[in-house]
Amino acid sequence: MVSKKAKWVAPVALASIVGLTACGGGSGESSSAAADVESGPIEFSMFSADSNSNWVGMKDKVGAAITEKTGVTLAAEYAIGGDTQKVSLMVASGEYPDLIMPKGDTSKLVEAGALVDLTDLIENYAPNIKKMYADDMNRLKYSKEDQSIYIIPTYTGVGQTSFDAGGGFELQLEVLKELGYPEIRTLDDYEKAIKEYYAKNPTINGQPTIPLTLNADDWKIMIGVTNPAFQATGLPDNGEFYINPETYESQLHYKRPEEKEYFRWLNKMYNEGLLDKETFTQKSDQYLAKISSGRVLGTINQEWDYSEAENALKGSSDATTQNRIFGHFPVTLSEEYKDHSFMDVGFPGGYGIGLTTNLSEAEQIRAIKFLDWLASDEGQVLVQWGIEGEHYNVEDGKRVIPQEIQDRKTNDNVAFTKETGIGMYTTMSPHYGDGVQDATGNYYTTNFPEQIQNAYTQPEKDALKEYGATTWKDLFPAADELGTSAWGAAYNLPAPTDSAYTVAFQKSQDIVRKRIPEAILAPAAQFDGIYDGMIEELNSADIVEMEKIFTQQIKDTVELWGTGK
Amino acid sequence: MGTLTSGGNSNNNPGTPAKDPLAGKRFKKQGFWRTALQQRYLYLMSLPFVIWAFIFSYLPLWGWTMAFQDFKPAKGFFEQKWVGFEHFVELFSDDRFYLALRNTLAMSVMGLVVGFMIPIIFAILLNELRGMMFKRFVQTVSYLPHFVSWVVVAGLVTKMLSTQGGAINDLLVGLHIINEPIQFMAKGEWFWYIVTASDVWKEMGWNTIIYLAAITGIDPELYEASRVDGASRYRQMWHITLPGIRTTISVLFIMQIGHLLQIGFEKQFLLGNNLVLEYSQVLELYALQYGLQMGRFSYGTAISIFNSVVSVILLFTVNGIFKKVSKESIM
Repeated sequence: MVSKKAKWVAPVALASIVGLTACGGGSGESSSAAADVESGPIEFSMFSADSNSNWVGMKDKVGAAITEKTGVTLAAEYAIGGDTQKVSLMVASGEYPDLIMPKGDTSKLVEAGALVDLTDLIENYAPNIKKMYADDMNRLKYSKEDQSIYIIPTYTGVGQTSFDAGGGFELQLEVLKELGYPEIRTLDDYEKAIKEYYAKNPTINGQPTIPLTLNADDWKIMIGVTNPAFQATGLPDNGEFYINPETYESQLHYKRPEEKEYFRWLNKMYNEGLLDKETFTQKSDQYLAKISSGRVLGTINQEWDYSEAENALKGSSDATTQNRIFGHFPVTLSEEYKDHSFMDVGFPGGYGIGLTTNLSEAEQIRAIKFLDWLASDEGQVLVQWGIEGEHYNVEDGKRVIPQEIQDRKTNDNVAFTKETGIGMYTTMSPHYGDGVQDATGNYYTTNFPEQIQNAYTQPEKDALKEYGATTWKDLFPAADELGTSAWGAAYNLPAPTDSAYTVAFQKSQDIVRKRIPEAILAPAAQFDGIYDGMIEELNSADIVEMEKIFTQQIKDTVELWGTGK
Repeated sequence: MGTLTSGGNSNNNPGTPAKDPLAGKRFKKQGFWRTALQQRYLYLMSLPFVIWAFIFSYLPLWGWTMAFQDFKPAKGFFEQKWVGFEHFVELFSDDRFYLALRNTLAMSVMGLVVGFMIPIIFAILLNELRGMMFKRFVQTVSYLPHFVSWVVVAGLVTKMLSTQGGAINDLLVGLHIINEPIQFMAKGEWFWYIVTASDVWKEMGWNTIIYLAAITGIDPELYEASRVDGASRYRQMWHITLPGIRTTISVLFIMQIGHLLQIGFEKQFLLGNNLVLEYSQVLELYALQYGLQMGRFSYGTAISIFNSVVSVILLFTVNGIFKKVSKESIM
C-alpha cells in the first residue's frame, strides 16, 4: 500500500514543483514620485505599444541631454511585436504607467477613465504645444460626445510634407538598369519588367531568382497584400475601408470590383510561377532573408518593413549587389488610376502620447511641461538633429550634418541610434513635420530635399537620374492633383469600441486574411468563385452593421473637425 | 469515514448511549484534533501550499462574476451591470467557437495519443540499453529540445518544411517520391499533424524522464527471478517493466486529461498562418482575440469558465473510470 502511494507521489510532487516555478516572477514596479515634483529630478514610467529594440534607458546622448535640461528620466517599456493585449491587461488590472502611447488602444483607456483630459493643461502650461497645434486643436479632440483631449498626436509631424516615397511598388535597381530604365506605371509594365529580367536571369549568385514576393505574415498581410489593392486602384489609405467622399458611406475596400481585378493579377502572377510560392506561409524573417540575399526582383511593401534587409545589400562591396535594392513606383491597375499616396489629408491627428490618472495633479503639470519642452525649438532640434558640434554643425547659419555622421546614419543605423538617440524620441515628442522651417530658416527635421538626396546610395542616385528625378517621390502624382480628405486618414482615427463593431470587424478580418490568400493561390478558373464567396461572407448582416457604425464615426469626425462640405 | 455521521436515524432509542448523536460528534472531533496534534509538523509543512493554492487557485474564482456582468474596468463591483448568461448564449451561438473547440480537441487528442505513448515506449527501450554512456547520451540529446523555445522551434519547422531548400522537400524530391516540392505549411488539413509531430519531437525526451525514474524504482529481484524462469527480454518488458510503471502512467494520464482543453496556444500561434486559420485557431487564441484584445473581459471570462468546467468534468469522469477499472486514481 505504502509503496503504491509513493510511486505516484513522486510524479505529482515533481509536477507541482514545475508548476510552482512557472508561476514565479511577476512585476512589482511602480514609479514613486520624487519629493520635489515641481522642478527636481523625477522619473516617469512610460509605455509604448510600438516595439523599440534600441532603447537604452536614456543613457544615449540625446536622452542624457533631455534629462539634463528637464530633470525627467523615463522608465520606458516598449511592447514586443504587435502586442495588443498589454493595454487590455493594464485596463483589467487598473495599473497604468505615467505616460502612455497606446496606438490604436486609446479608446480602451478612455473607457476605463485612465487618461487625463489635457485641454486645460495645454492651455495653461504648454505654450509651445499650443502654438504648434493652433489651427488643428479640433483634430485633437476625442469624439463628438467627449470633446476632451486625451492624446497629443506625436506620431505625425505638424505641417508634414513628405519629400520621399517609401511605398508603392518596388522593383530592383539592377532590373531597371539591365532593361534600360523602362517606364513603370501600370501593373503590365511592372509585370513585363520582372518577366523579362527573370527570363534572362533565372538564378542570382547561383540561387534561384525570386521574381516577386510579398510579406503576408500576421497583420503585415494588410501592408503587403490588401493595402496595395486600393493603392493600385487610386484610393488613399483609410485602413480597411473605402469611404465615399461625398456621402461618407463606408464599406470594406475589398468589396470594390476594381480590387478584385488587382487580386486577379496576383492570382495570374502566382499561376505563372512569378509570385513566390511561399508568400503566404513565410514568416517576416524569412521574407527579409530573401530580400537581403538580393534574389528578389520585386516586392510590394512599405520601406519601413524591409529597409533592415536592404542594409546588408547597401554595405556590400560588390557593385551589382549594391544595385539589388529597390526603387519605388506609383504602379496602378491601369492608366486611369492615380496613386494617392501623397494626397493631402491635412493634419491627420491620431496616435500619440497621453498622461494617465496615475499622476497626481502636480505631476501632471510637470509631465505636460516636459512634453512642452520637447515641443520647444530647442527640444525639437535636439531630438531631430542631436547635439551641436557633435552631430551637426552650424555653418553660415545653416545646420549641417558632417559627412562621417551621415555615413554612419545611413550604413550603421542601429548602433548609431543606440549611441546617440537621434530619431528615438521623435515619436514621443510633439513635433513639426518635414519641410517646416524654424525662425532661423532651418528645417526642424533632417528630412529635407538636399538631405534626402545625400542619404541615397550611389546606385539610387544613378537610377533616379535616369528617370529625370531627384527623389522617388518625384515619380508619384503630386498632392495638388489628388484633392483633400475631410476626415484625415481613417486608419488613424480611434476605432469605435462598441462590441457590435469590434467583433464584426475581427470577423471580417478573419475572413479576408483567409480567403484572399486562398483566391490568389487557386487555379485561375476557381478565382472568381472563391472571391465572390468571400464577398458574400462579407455581406453578412453583422458586417454590414459594422460598416454603418464606421460611417457614423466618419460623419461625427467631419462634424467635430468642422471640415464638412 | 462517513459511517459515524450523526442524526441519521431518528427512530433510535434515545436511551442508548452508543447511539447518542452528540457522542458521535465528540468522538469524531477528538479524533481529528488528536491526529492534528500528532502530525502537527506535517500539517505545518503543508500549510504554505494550502495557502498558496487558496490564493492562486481559489481567490481568482471571484473574477468569475465578471462573466455574468457587462464588465467595465473603471467601475466598482456594485456599479457593474448584471446580464446573467448573455455572454454564454453568445459564446454558444458563435460558429468560430465550435471551430476553435474542434481544433483544440483534435490537436489535444492527437497529442495525447501520440505524445503519451511514445515517451513510454522510448523509456522502456532506453531502459533496455546496456551501454551506460550511450544511454546517457541518447537521453540528453532527446530532452534538449525541451529547453528550446517554441519561437525557435517554429522557425526550424517552417524552414525544414519550406519549398525552397527545405530538408524534407529536398529529400522527398531527391528520392523521387514527389515531383514538385509540397507546400506543407499551406495545407490546413496537415496542420494538426505538423503541430503534433513537432510537439513530440520537442517534448518526447523530457516526458521520458518521469518513466525512467519510475522504472528504476522496480525491484531488480523481479527481473532476476524472471530470467531464472526463462523470460525473454520482451516478456520482461511486458510483464515486469510495464506493470511496474502502470501507476505512474495512470496518474499522468488522468492529469493530462484534465488539461485536454488547455493546450496553450504558442505552437498554433507560431506555426500557423492566415491560410490554415481554420485548423490553427484554438480556444485560448480565440479567447485572446475575441476576448482580451477587444477589451471584452466578460466574454473572455465566459470562455475560461467553459474551459474549467469541461476540464473538471473530464478529470472526474476519467478518474472515476480508472477507480472502477484499475483501482488506481489520484483522488
